[in-house]
Amino acid sequence: MGGYAGQILYVNLSSGDIEKKTLDRDFARKHIGGLGFGTQIYLDLIKGNPVFDALSESNPFVLMTGPLTGMKMNGVARWTVCSKSPLTGFWGDSNVGGFFGAYLKFAGYDGIVITGKAKTPSYLFINDETVEIRSAEKYWGKDVYTVTDELKEDLKPESKKPGQVLTIGPAGEKLIKFASLINNKGHAAGRTGMGAVWGSKMLKAIYVSGTGKPEIAHPEKFDDLRKELKEVYEESIGIAAIHAAGTATHMDVGIISGDIPIKNWQMTDWDQIDDIGPTEIEEKIFAGHKTCYGCGVACKKNAQVKDGPFKMEKGPGPEYETIATFGTMCLNSSIESIAKANDICNRYGMDTITCGSTIAFAMECFENGLITEEDTDGLSLTWGNSEAIVKMVEKIAKQDGFGAILGQGSQKAAEHIGGNASDFLTTVKGLEAPMHDPRSAHGYGLAYAISPRGACHEASLTFEAEGGMIYIPEIPELSADLPEGSDERAQLNVVAQDYGMFFSNCAIFCNLGGMPLNATQALNMVNYVTGFEYTLNEVMEIGRRVWYLKRGMTNLFGARAEDDRLPKRLMTVMEDGPTEGSLPDMDKMLAEFYELRGFNADGIPTKNILENVGLPDLAELLNTA
Amino acid sequence: MGMFKTAEEFEKVIVGFFNLVADTPLIADKLLKSKMIIRFKYSDPDLIVVIDCSGDKAEVRPHDTDTKEIVEMTMSADIAHRFWFGMVNLTKALTRKEMVAKGPIPKVLKLLPAIKPSYAMYPQYLDANGFEQYNITKAYKPPTA
Repeated sequence: MGGYAGQILYVNLSSGDIEKKTLDRDFARKHIGGLGFGTQIYLDLIKGNPVFDALSESNPFVLMTGPLTGMKMNGVARWTVCSKSPLTGFWGDSNVGGFFGAYLKFAGYDGIVITGKAKTPSYLFINDETVEIRSAEKYWGKDVYTVTDELKEDLKPESKKPGQVLTIGPAGEKLIKFASLINNKGHAAGRTGMGAVWGSKMLKAIYVSGTGKPEIAHPEKFDDLRKELKEVYEESIGIAAIHAAGTATHMDVGIISGDIPIKNWQMTDWDQIDDIGPTEIEEKIFAGHKTCYGCGVACKKNAQVKDGPFKMEKGPGPEYETIATFGTMCLNSSIESIAKANDICNRYGMDTITCGSTIAFAMECFENGLITEEDTDGLSLTWGNSEAIVKMVEKIAKQDGFGAILGQGSQKAAEHIGGNASDFLTTVKGLEAPMHDPRSAHGYGLAYAISPRGACHEASLTFEAEGGMIYIPEIPELSADLPEGSDERAQLNVVAQDYGMFFSNCAIFCNLGGMPLNATQALNMVNYVTGFEYTLNEVMEIGRRVWYLKRGMTNLFGARAEDDRLPKRLMTVMEDGPTEGSLPDMDKMLAEFYELRGFNADGIPTKNILENVGLPDLAELLNTA
Repeated sequence: MGMFKTAEEFEKVIVGFFNLVADTPLIADKLLKSKMIIRFKYSDPDLIVVIDCSGDKAEVRPHDTDTKEIVEMTMSADIAHRFWFGMVNLTKALTRKEMVAKGPIPKVLKLLPAIKPSYAMYPQYLDANGFEQYNITKAYKPPTA
């Protein structure tokens, strides 16, 4: 079967049972891969008992690659994880690059399903056909970088080829609600707290080494496509920009349209923004390019701070989202401190978006007297205080004092702080919004509101389409010239979800490395690798089903229409700057979206619509929930 | 037919504005630091303008086809006009090839922070120099006798 390794690993940490199940060809064709596999497998596991805590042993965890993962091609190194989110209590998933997915397929597995809970700290050892649950006592308590290095070194004698490590840091062990999983020190499954799920299962890491290679159904056609795409990539301005400066290039572009949130979303312009832009990054902290498996785009950048209070060794540098959360959001113009905050998050294993946003939220609470230095253990959380920001990141990572409050995420912290702290929140469904302002592009507002995992710019391709990064001429909604304002955004979101589920969730193209691809090229790549001969209509239908499955899962975990709302802070009109006077018309967009998606007034897809898209089990569950 | 009916009219507007930008130290100093030479190739109407920042002063040279550029930017006059109002989604324009750039693109992107103040200057410049009819940020009212 082209593109697939052919087996899925089922690991029960409670019983210690390990089972290798053959990947069924019909299942593969029906779900493509990634979250197409993950959502269906997860639903099948929980449908008998869908009420459980995210940190209990009843919460399964599913890691899946796609048919393209492990191919030597730009923008296809990615893989996905999913589970119930400890941060939000709703559906959680994350999409990550790096090397782990490719290596897992080389070992002969398309994915891993983990259930139960180990009695003692454990890690999973995978070396081709050898799969074992082993003691992780030696590694428990150690940071991501140390565990990555030690596991690789310790297991080298047993491995035919060098391995890859996916691990949690101390943050995951301490069940910090936004703990992440990290591969190769800097490739993070960051959002929704999947690291805490591992921590609750006492699972420290997975080591994988493999000697195989997935087959390609039509290798000659695949090679021809690779040649065709070489020119496409060479001509792409977006690719040239992120190759040169990484995602930080958006600091220069986003500020023009008012896309970058500043001072906890209270400003859209700032005279110190250039201090943390690509030019300063190159001059002050840049330490070389990094990439994911087989990808020539190389949008990742290493960083190093050679001296001063934020000194850090060479390692993965901050990406745009991180620069904005620890930088513009906190009025922090020290790029060195941002690199250091990123380094701490990587080492301890924490999501930088939630971490930085939560600190910005706390700064606003501090400014308004809701918390004082007595609460913050003596730290003066004033805007721009770079030393306090870095110290607070450390305190969160160690669950020390006030850090333990912020380690629950901003929404829980607001409940603890009280007063009008919730006015300063930037969350949807408990997940802090990413660094793109819906007041600059109204479709983002709807995308954040109805995203199954909470405020997210990558839960569909709305951000890429409305923001202009992609152009898909085969799909009218993804190539239209949209009018100003909120018109036509509901339809855009629907189509960007359907195509997005195919593109970046199931086939698992990278939204950055895959941005020059049109639908024909993306589809051809999947078809040449798998031999399935999908049509565009077919993958749109699959994408639609996966989207409803994610949405339904979040409904199953309790989300209702009132959760499909943007927070007050994001719905506050700006009085000057590029977004002056611009507010998404959420009532209009939501009403249109609910109609298009066949939701009832509670925000739940109707039984009819779920049955029509091929989800009768979910329809039944939601009907009786 | 685009917004500008003749190349002469467009040249008056855009070259006049580029000269204003070149004489504005807040912007010009950063452009000069870049040492960039950009050739703008406009269509509808056709016009070529070179901005040369390689010397001590930013020079604006219409019709210069001899100077070897570092970056060439090709676009319609209308897109260029809208760009200077800050109304063009740059990412989208580049993705859809409404703007085509040749040369070291990251160097061009690095100039964006430098030229940001010029977006506010453009409508003021149009109004102050008898080009009110091109100020698309307000409804144009023809002068009364």
